[in-house]
Formats: sequence, structure tokens, C-alpha cells
Amino acid sequence: METQKSKMALTDASLLITEACVKAGADAFIGYPITPSNKFYSYGSLRFPLFLAGPDEITVLQWMSGLSAAGKLPVTSTAFPGLALMAETFNMAYMMELPMLVIVTQRLGPSTGSATTGAQGDLSFINGLISGGFPIPVFCPSNFEDAWTLAEESIKTSVNLRTPVILLTSKEMVMTQKSFDLTKLHDIKPVDRTPKNIKLPYKTYFADETLVPPFIPVANNKHLVRLNSSTHDDEGMIQKNSPNALANTKRLKDKIENSIDKYLFYELDNESTNEHLIVTYGISAGACRDAVKELRKNNVKVSLLVVKTILPVAPKIISIIESYNNIYFVEENIGGQYKEIIFGKQHKSNVYQVNKMGHMINPDDVIKAFNL
Amino acid sequence: MKSEILTGKKMPFCPGCGHGVVVNNISKALSELGYNPLDIIIVSDIGCSGLVDPLFATHTVHGLHGRAPALGLGVAMGLNDRSKKVIVIQGDGGATIGLQHLLEAARRNIDITLLVFNNLLYGMTGGQISGLSTDKFKEMRQVEEGIPPFDIVKLAHQAGAMSSARVLSPVNFTESIKHAVETPGFSLLELASVCPSYGLQKIKELDEFSQEADALLNNRKVNEVNYRTTTSLLNFVKEIPILYPTKIEDNYRILLAGSAGGGIQLAAELLAKAGMYAGLHATMKGEYPVTVGTGFSVAEVILSKNHINYTGLDAPDVIFVMTEDGLEKVQKYLNNGTSVYADDIVNFECQTKITKPFSRKVGKRSAILSAIAYWIEENDIIPINAFIEAIKPHKHSELLIKAIETPI
Ligand code: SF4
Repeated sequence: METQKSKMALTDASLLITEACVKAGADAFIGYPITPSNKFYSYGSLRFPLFLAGPDEITVLQWMSGLSAAGKLPVTSTAFPGLALMAETFNMAYMMELPMLVIVTQRLGPSTGSATTGAQGDLSFINGLISGGFPIPVFCPSNFEDAWTLAEESIKTSVNLRTPVILLTSKEMVMTQKSFDLTKLHDIKPVDRTPKNIKLPYKTYFADETLVPPFIPVANNKHLVRLNSSTHDDEGMIQKNSPNALANTKRLKDKIENSIDKYLFYELDNESTNEHLIVTYGISAGACRDAVKELRKNNVKVSLLVVKTILPVAPKIISIIESYNNIYFVEENIGGQYKEIIFGKQHKSNVYQVNKMGHMINPDDVIKAFNL
Repeated sequence: MKSEILTGKKMPFCPGCGHGVVVNNISKALSELGYNPLDIIIVSDIGCSGLVDPLFATHTVHGLHGRAPALGLGVAMGLNDRSKKVIVIQGDGGATIGLQHLLEAARRNIDITLLVFNNLLYGMTGGQISGLSTDKFKEMRQVEEGIPPFDIVKLAHQAGAMSSARVLSPVNFTESIKHAVETPGFSLLELASVCPSYGLQKIKELDEFSQEADALLNNRKVNEVNYRTTTSLLNFVKEIPILYPTKIEDNYRILLAGSAGGGIQLAAELLAKAGMYAGLHATMKGEYPVTVGTGFSVAEVILSKNHINYTGLDAPDVIFVMTEDGLEKVQKYLNNGTSVYADDIVNFECQTKITKPFSRKVGKRSAILSAIAYWIEENDIIPINAFIEAIKPHKHSELLIKAIETPI
């Protein structure tokens, strides 16, 4: 039973994410209909200061880019079929360094697959989404508290790093209603968008040691703004491959990777020994939390790592994983996408996988991997 | 030529390219209209026409092939400021690729101007024909396609553009651009251009190879976007206090199966809330076909003394079967020793089933509530008043409560 102070309600993560985004300063939702992101669309239409019904996936992200260029902070939600169509524009927004959030609700693929069946099948695609192998900050909630916190962090990271961000979730996470204690929701303040350290004359892509150029909206009355999707120098002028332009392009990778510790979220439930580590994320975390309890009852010394900033892979995450003797990757997809991002295709005798397709991984699936 | 609008940088086009003529006319038009360059945002597409950015001393946004009208519309909606002017530039190739964006922008009639530099081909990639290449031009190029070009002027007009026009003679460019820019709402201007490298060599050939000059107007309201004040979604989330005791020490996984329109999803939500009124943790999720008005409707509810981490339901403790549609969906769980409560209109074999005339007593829509109430009371799961508490805020609460109070 909950304590006297708790404030229980039946709610869902789509609502919490939508609310957290707006509280953090997001001001426009560009929606288009796709399952299982349906609830985001309906909550978005109620809550965001600006709501627009986009006619198609590409238009949605183009409008968002335009809005972002003009100083707005737009959000959309999609699933793989939509994300695939948005891929080129996502690259454009990335290259232009436009803050925005794309919520991806994973469902069973390939292709249109099964729209109402959950999955964790889009991590590999997202990992390779930016041509040239550039990193995108990707957050992955494992429960309702994460949904709130990581939605806030997604918005703030998109502004602080001046980049599009992905919040990677799944059907079961955002369509299931759950009893939840509302007092667990911390207060969220809007992100500060005042540009700092502007060096004159303003150059759209000139950055100091933070590697993040101060953002000034297009149409500014004082400073000329040049946004560019093609390879460009720090003024935003198109270039083939000049040293300035290549340095500017490389900066896109460095600004995101170098600051990873500022937006790194994970949960490590550490046992006393470094014998076994379960590594999971998103919707599979619930089953792993239950499995860990059971395994410990059976005297298995097992630790649990729930990764919440799933991309880029933080050095800290690698060092945690490497410090254990046996590692178990638990994810709801056919081949173990996160495992492959960490360890590649190479077979490792101390790395195990629990994978499933078309159904949620349950605690027994995880326990079985330990051959009790 | 250098003006306030242009940077004075060298034109990047091939000698004799028509695009330089268009750029100079844009500059002239904007200067004559008295624009400050920082009040102009040039949004460009990909292709030779997309090389214009460095030429302009205005704000510039250089986007993707075909998508510039959508990007420009986004900028205009974000600024929502009529003292700023978004001018989108694309070629006939870009207009072909992104035709939907052009039509959508015309339909929305938000204040932007789209200038299409039409040289009848894709220049940057080697002179391929576009959707705007005319039959005559294709004949000359010996491309036997036999498919007429899009008339984007008429298409934009039909989609609702405030003004849309095609101008062939550069002599008229400045005035036409001024008119387009001054038009409130969406204006499209198709400007004929030559491409000496792959297409027409001379301006005087434009008349012969282009679609006819045209100028169309719509009289419509200019749209602006609406930024609203809204209130927190949490205001709509109802707190469920613990009002009743429960004897449940573990958890119940409950499967509700029926047909669309049979109140299954509502009943599941009410059951989850009822559990919460009795201090339990709860989850609820539904499954139904994409055509929500027909076929099966299944819902899963978990009630638990402890926090619920895993929300799946692999082995239900109790199943409610209200219709044949529902039966089909839960067949695999039957005969595993699971308790089954079924409406007596459904025929099936199951050793652990309890059959009652729920729908005949309270009607099809309320049958599931009656069945849940029967189960709750028979097994002393939670006080029936917790269920009633959950139903109370519903607009048909009286009817629903009557259903659960009807003796079975
Ligand atoms: S290829 Fe044609 S359109 Fe492109 S710059 Fe050269 S002449 Fe102009």
C-alpha cells in the first residue's frame, strides 16, 4: 500500500511525456496519424501552444525545421515507417543544428509489420541514421518516472547541444495505463534559450570551446543568420570540402560525444560481486527488474544495468559492462541490436543474449538464461 | 550588380545561365519595395537554383531537394510575423519532387512567396527532364515521353494560392516579383529560365518551348497560425485515493474478452481504478482490430499488492469471455486451470468455467460489468463499493451501477 503522502492516478506515459515536453519549453507539436503514437497526437493537440496536423511525414519534419529555425521548439511522434521517411530531413535538421524532438514509438517490423505489437527493433536504424556515422542523443525511458525525466532531458539536450534529439520508446511503454504516484514527478522549469557568448560579427556556426554555436533565430533584426543543410563553413556558406567546412562538420560529432556525461542517464543496481550483469533498456527493463529479484532469491549474484541514454554509447557504460564477468543483453528484437552496437558481430563466450520478437520479454525468459 | 539585397559575390552559374537574370530581378524588386535585407528570409532548394544563398545579403536557409516550400512554410509559421517575408526559391525539378509541399502551402495560404526558376530540366545533375518539361522541349531533346507537363500555376490556383502566375519574358520579371511578394498569403511565380549547358540557349526561345504565360488570383482569407495558452494535462488526471481495504496479498492477472461496443475497454479501466481505490497497483491495456467498431475487443488488467514492473500478461488468473469474437482471442489460455467467467450466450468447453446469463440480465453493453462484479463478490477480491466508486464519475453511472447491482 502506498504511503499517506502519495497521490495515485491511472495514467499513461504518452501523457507524462507530452506534459514534460511542454513544461521544459517545447511549444509546437506537429502531428500526423500513426500507431502506436496515437496518444501523443491527441495529447499534443490539447497541450502544445501550437498544434499543426501535418499532411505527411516529410512535411512534418520540414515544418518542424522551419519552426525551429524561427526559434520555436517543436516535437513530433512517429514509429518506424514515419521515421524512415523522415530520415533525410532529420539529417538536414542535424546539419543545420536545429533543436527539436522526435519521439519514436517502436512497433513490430519489418516494414509496416504489426502496428499494435510492441518491439525494440529500431535502435540499429537510429544508430546509423546520420550519414557519415554521426551520433544523435537518444533517450530511452524504462518506466513512467523516466518518461517524465527523459522527456525533460530530451528537450533540454536538444537546446543545449543545438541538435535534434530522439526519445525512443515502444508501444507497451506509451499505450499501457498504469497506477502511478504523481508526487514522483519533479518540477520542470523551461529550458533557458538565451544565446550566450555571441562573438561579433555573428557567424551562424561559429562555436567556442563548448562546440555549440549560440542559436539565433532566422529573421533576427541585428544578426544575419545562414542555415545550411549542405556542407558549409562556420558562416553557413556552402562549401565542397574546405578545411573550415570539414572542421565544422566534424564539430557536429564532437559536440555530442564530448558532452555525453552531461546527459548520461542509467540505473545500476549493483550486487556485491562482478559475476553477472544484465544489460537492458526501455520496455524490457520491467521484466529484468522482476527477474533480478527472483535470481537473487536463488543466490545468483546478479547486477542490473538499465541504460537510459542509449546513444551515443558513453565510455562510462562501456566501462561498467566491461567490469563484469558475464554479461546478458536483454532486448525485444531478433538479433540483439544494442549488444551488436557494443560488441559487434564477434562471438564472445561471456556475452549472452535474451531476445524475443512479437511478444514482450518476461521475467522467466531472463531467468532461463541463467540455467538455474 | 551590387545592392543592399545582394552581397556582390560572383554568380556561380554557367555563362549565359538564365538564373542570374532572375536573381538580379529579385534583388531589384525587393529594393524597389524598400525591404531591409534582414526582413527577408530566402529559403532555397537543391539544384542550380539552390546555389543562390551566397548571393543574398538576406537571411538564408538552404534545404533539401523539393522540400523548400515546406521548410519555408515552417519558417513563416514559426515567425508568425508579417513584417518578415519568406521567399522560397526552387527549380522545376524541385517543384516536381516536392509537388505535395507546393500544394499544401497553397492550401494553407500563409504569407510566403514561392519562385520557381523553370528551365525545363534538372541542370545540376546533367539536364534530365522534369515534371515541368514541356512536350515541345522533350521533342527537341528527343525524349519521347508523351506525358504532358504539370501546370503548377493552375494546380496552385486550384489548391488555393492567393496568386499564381507564369512569366516568360524577363522584361516583366521585376514587376511580377514585386506583385507576388506584395500579395498577402501564398503566391507562386513560375519564371522562365534558360540553361545553355543542357537546354535552351537563348531567352527568345522561351516563348516557343514554355507553357503559356498565365496569371490567376483567388480571393481568400490569409491564414496565420494560432499560438494558444493551454493548461496542464495533469489537471485531467484524477487522483484515486485509497478508500477501501483488500485481502489480495499477491496479484491478479485478468483478461477481458468480448466484442467491439461491448464496453470491454471501459470495464477494464474501471476495474483497474477499483483496484486502486482498494490500495492496489494496477495496469490496463487494450487490444482491438484497427477497425475499432467491429470484431473482437480484449483488455488486460493486472491488480497487484506490489509495484508492477512487468506489464505483460502471459498466464491470466481469470478470464472473462463475453462473446464468440472474444472467445477466439483467448482460446489458447483456456483449460489451463484458469478461472473462466462466461456469458451463457457463448458456447465452449472448459472445465473451470462458470456460466451465467449476464447479457440476458443486464444487456450486452453492461454484461462485462455484471460479470466482474459477480467475480469480485464471489471471491472477495475487493469491496464491491470500490468498483462502484470507480464507476461514479461516469456519465451513465446510474445505469452502470444498476447493472452491477442486478442479481445474477
Ligand atoms: S547547368 Fe544550366 S541551370 Fe545550371 S548553372 Fe549551368 S546553365 Fe545554369
